[in-house]
Order: sequence, then C-alpha cells, then structure tokens
Amino acid sequence: MNPTRSPESPQPPGPQAVDAGSQALAEALRSSFAIVRFVMVLLVAVFFASGFRIVGPQEKGIILRLGRPVGEGEAALRGAGLHWSFPYPIDEFIKVPITEIQTLRSTVGWYAVTPEQELAGTEPPVVASTPLNPATDGAVLTADGNIIHSRAILRYRFDDPLRCVFGFTGGTNGAFTLTGVSNAVLNTLNNALLRAAAEFTVDQILTRDVVGFQDAVRRHFERLARERQLGVAVEQCEVQSRPPRQLKQAFDDVINAGQRRSKVLNEALSFANQVTNRAASEAAAILNGAEAQRTRYVETIAADAKRFEGLLTQFQSNPDLYMEQRLVQTMSRVLTNLQDKVYMPERGDGRTRELRLLLNREPPKPKSETSP
Amino acid sequence: MKRHTLTLLIGTVLVLIFALLLFVFQVRQSEVAVVTTFGKPTRNIAEPGAYLKWPWPIQRVYKFDQRIQTFEDKFTEGLTADNNNLLTMVYLGWRIVDAKAFFPKFAGGSVQAAERMLEGLLSNAKGAVVGRYNLSDFVNADPERLKFDQIERDMRAMVEAQLSTNDCGIKIEFLGIKKLGLPESVTQTVFERMTSERQVLVSRLQNEGEAEAERIRATANRQAAEVLAAAEAEATRIRGQGEARAAELLPVFERNPALANFELRLQALEQALKDRATLIFDERTAPFDLFQGFRTNRNSK
Repeated sequence: MNPTRSPESPQPPGPQAVDAGSQALAEALRSSFAIVRFVMVLLVAVFFASGFRIVGPQEKGIILRLGRPVGEGEAALRGAGLHWSFPYPIDEFIKVPITEIQTLRSTVGWYAVTPEQELAGTEPPVVASTPLNPATDGAVLTADGNIIHSRAILRYRFDDPLRCVFGFTGGTNGAFTLTGVSNAVLNTLNNALLRAAAEFTVDQILTRDVVGFQDAVRRHFERLARERQLGVAVEQCEVQSRPPRQLKQAFDDVINAGQRRSKVLNEALSFANQVTNRAASEAAAILNGAEAQRTRYVETIAADAKRFEGLLTQFQSNPDLYMEQRLVQTMSRVLTNLQDKVYMPERGDGRTRELRLLLNREPPKPKSETSP
Repeated sequence: MKRHTLTLLIGTVLVLIFALLLFVFQVRQSEVAVVTTFGKPTRNIAEPGAYLKWPWPIQRVYKFDQRIQTFEDKFTEGLTADNNNLLTMVYLGWRIVDAKAFFPKFAGGSVQAAERMLEGLLSNAKGAVVGRYNLSDFVNADPERLKFDQIERDMRAMVEAQLSTNDCGIKIEFLGIKKLGLPESVTQTVFERMTSERQVLVSRLQNEGEAEAERIRATANRQAAEVLAAAEAEATRIRGQGEARAAELLPVFERNPALANFELRLQALEQALKDRATLIFDERTAPFDLFQGFRTNRNSK
C-alpha cells in the first residue's frame, strides 16, 4: 500500500479520482492509529502518575534515588501526605511504619506470666521448695551465683532512622520495617541485663543498690548500642527485680528481721533520749540547788555579820547585862515553844535531888533529856 | 506532519521506558547483588545505584538483603571448666557482604541455609568457649575477674575463624549472650543455699540489732552518769564559792569572839529545843533563878 502512496504523498491530494476501496482503508488506518496514540499517551501518563504515593499518619516515606536515600537523617523522612517521586527504576518510594517512642520489655529473666495475668497483677501459682524450670521460667544469675528474676523495660526512640531501616532487616528483602532493629535492640537489652546482673549481688539488686543496678543496665545497653550502631537513643530504662517466688518466705523473713531490728533500735534510742534528758534535768536541778544553797549561805552569813556588827556596840557597852538579856530573851522564846516543862526546885538541904526517868518506846513521845 | 513528530516522540519515550525496565536494574542501599551470565556469577555489586545488564535469559540479577539479621541459638546446657552445668543462649547479628561469594555457597542463595550453617558454627563455638571458663568468669561481683566480654569475644573470634576458612561472603556484626541459666536440678541446691544465706542474714540482723541497741543504752547511761557527775562537781564548786565568800565575812566575827560564840550558842540552844522537847530544869536556870530569890539568898546571883 505505502509504496504506491508514498510517491504521491508529497503532493497535496489533488482532485484525482481515488477509488473508494483505498479511501476506506486509509480511513480505517487513521482511526486505529489514533487509538494506538491514545494508548501510548495513556501509558506515559500512567508511568509518571505511578510516582504518587500517600503516606499515612503512623508511617514515614523515604525516597530512594538510584538505590540511595534522598536526604540526610531526619530530612530523609517524608511525613504524612501526598508525595511524588520519579517512577522505578529512577526513584523508589518506600514506606516505614514508625512511631515516636518504642517500648520494649526484656524477655529473659522473668517467670512465665501471661499477658492477662500481667494486666490483672496476678501471677501463676508456685509451690514453695520446688526447683525452677529454666525452660519456662526465666531467671538471671547474680554475681554471687544466685538466681533471681529481673526484667528491664526500655523506652527508646530512633535516633538515626536511616541506620535503623537500612542497617537491620526484618527477615524479608525489600520490606522496610523496624522489626529488625527492634529485634537487635531486644537482644542487646537482654544482654545488658545479664551483664549487669553478673556484676551485682542479690542484696544489691533487691535492696541495697536498686538504682545502681538500674543504671548499670542502662549503661551496658548504651555502650553496646553505640558499639553496634543500633541508631537508637534511650529515653528511659526501668528495671524490676524480685526474688524467686519459691523463696518468698525466706526473703520476707529477712525483711521482717530488718524491721524488728529497726524497732529494737528505735526503742533503744528512745530509752537513750529519756535517760540523757532525765540526767540533764537532774543535773540542772543539782546546779540550781547548789546555787540556791550558796546564795542562802552567803546571805545568811552576811546577815549574821551585819547583825553581829549591830550587836557588838551593845555588847561592848555592858557585856554582862547584854548576855543576861539575850539569854533570858532566848529562854523565854524557847520555853513558850516547849512541849513539856518540868521545874524542879533545889532541895532545901542543898543536896542533889535524884530523878528517875522511864523511857517508853511507845507512844512516840518526844525524847527527853536530863539536865541536872 | 506535526502529529507525526508528536507520535514519534511519545513512541521514543515508551521505547526508552521499556528499555530502561529491561536493561537497567537498581540496587538499593539495603542490598548487595550478583549478576549471573548464563547462570555463572560474573559481577559483584556492593554499592547502591542503577546498573545495566543484558535482559533475561542472558543475564540475571540476584539481590540479597545486606542488612543485619539477628538470630539466636537454642538454650543449651554446657559444662564449664569447673564442672558446673550452665545453660546458655547466644544471639548473633550477621550480614551478607559479598553476594558473589555468598550466592553459590547456599542453594539459590538461601538465607535460611546460611543461618543453619551459622547455627552449627555457633553451637560449636559456644560449647568450646563455655568449657574454657569457670562459672565465676560468667558472674562475679569483682569487675576485674568478670570475663563476660572476653567470653563473648572468644565465641565471636571462633565463629569468625571457622567462617574465614571458606569464604561465604558473611560478616559477623555482633554476638552476645542472651540468656544464662542453671539446670533445673541445680536450681534446687541454689535455692537451698539462698535460703540458708537468708537465715544467716536474719540472725545477723537480729544480733546486730540487739548489740547495737545495747550499745546505745550503755552509751546513754554513761552519758547520763557523766552529766550528773559533772553537775555534782559543779555544785561542789559553787558551794565552795559560797563558803569562800562567807569566809571573807569571818573577820567581822573575829572582832569579838566571845560575843560570836555566845550568839552561836544561843542559836544552837534555840534550834535544839525547837519542838517536841521536854526540859527539866531547876532554879539555877534563867529565868527561873527568880524563884530562888524568893526563898533564900543562899545561892549566888
């Protein structure tokens, strides 16, 4: 067909007589050519439109241009919304489910407990003095070769998302998730817990250095994460520990003994307070007494001395008279106060009178003295 | 004419796109790839980017995830150097670095097959290394004697040594002990030991508490006695002061000792006869000597 038409085509179609058959053929060709063209345009359009992608709220998009991510660090992550990239094989748009803070719980070192029991705060029953089955119940070995339960709860975020996505695989090639890095983080956390427990004794972990143990777990984890370039940053690391449930009674006994000890100590302290306070108050009383005595004594002597000076002049003027007066004054005062007064005049003949006294023990009468 | 060029252009673009899809392949950052020509590995690709190849069936591209994979072995029992049974579980992070070396070693480049091989190597290495150390190297309160790091390093070195004998294109990224445990039969003895340790603690707490309480009481008593003794001494000193002060006043009385003595005697007399006393006296005692005068003058004064 063409060879016959081509020599004529440079000239515009003149008013030549064309047969109806070839005209119909040309018509058909033109219309099918239009369809082909339409399909071609559509294909190109579809090719470029395939570059549109929608990123959801819980995920991030990363554009790989010729296999390498576009942008560095946080800038490489496309947030939620509509994005466009060149179609494969120039660009590739991948979506990664990623949330802000991740929480992981260590999987070794704790006894078997179902999530329901965990939520309800209960635990599976255990019989005292039965061994621990390592296949079901986890435990960590402490520095002193003992067994206790311990678990770490780690909150972390992806510090270097590109490292997390392109450094660790979730198991299937072409899938970009963070399960791979989470798995590595979990193993590292378990490892850190074991290492920390291997350095601490039971008592340090459970009572004496709880915070120190927690810090050690975090320290080990951070060091290992750095060495392995996990690309995560720790937000919080919390460690729970408890003695084997089979030994609950023995451990409780120690706690009780500790409480009894502090009770005994408190009692002793309060006794000590009492004793020292009483001694202090007694000492104060003694001192006050002595002060009072001193004052009284000095005052008395001073008063006596003063009076003495007054009396001296009287005395010196007539000693005998003075003495007589004073004696009589005193005697009269004394005699008024006396309970019994017995007057015995001298015998007429001047001989000594004999006086017999009967001292009786009861009733408690005043003792008498004789003065001949 | 214009319509023709447009058609041509679109056609060219389409052809280009098909050619791209056919001749070009992309290797992602997360991948390594190997190109086989008629089934024979010929090209190794370690860097991400776009590469050319002949279309199938001449060349084929096999891509492998080169990101780190982690797996752990079983929780198995091993004998330490000091004959303790120890259960250990080790995890291993590895990745494919050389696709060309990796691909022919495992059927179809199967990652599972590689992992199985690594598991074999790991369990060998673990058994050997655990047997070289004592239990006290795994757990020890003294950081100097704790050899946790060394144990992990030894295991890794051993796995790497075994790997290097035949090049598998695999690199070990990290290795660590995930779980340590004692066999069930041993836990019973450990529990018994722990119980007796607790009992020791209980009795120590009791004894310590009582001893400490006793010490506190004794100290308090001693302190109280000291305070009282000091107070007594001070009181004596104060009284002494008073006496010294009084002594200063004594010269006043020395001016007439006779009077002083007389006054003292009077005072003493008054004090002695203060209450409940019976006094028997005759007429020679003043003031009853007045009676004497009535009867006779015989007696003096």
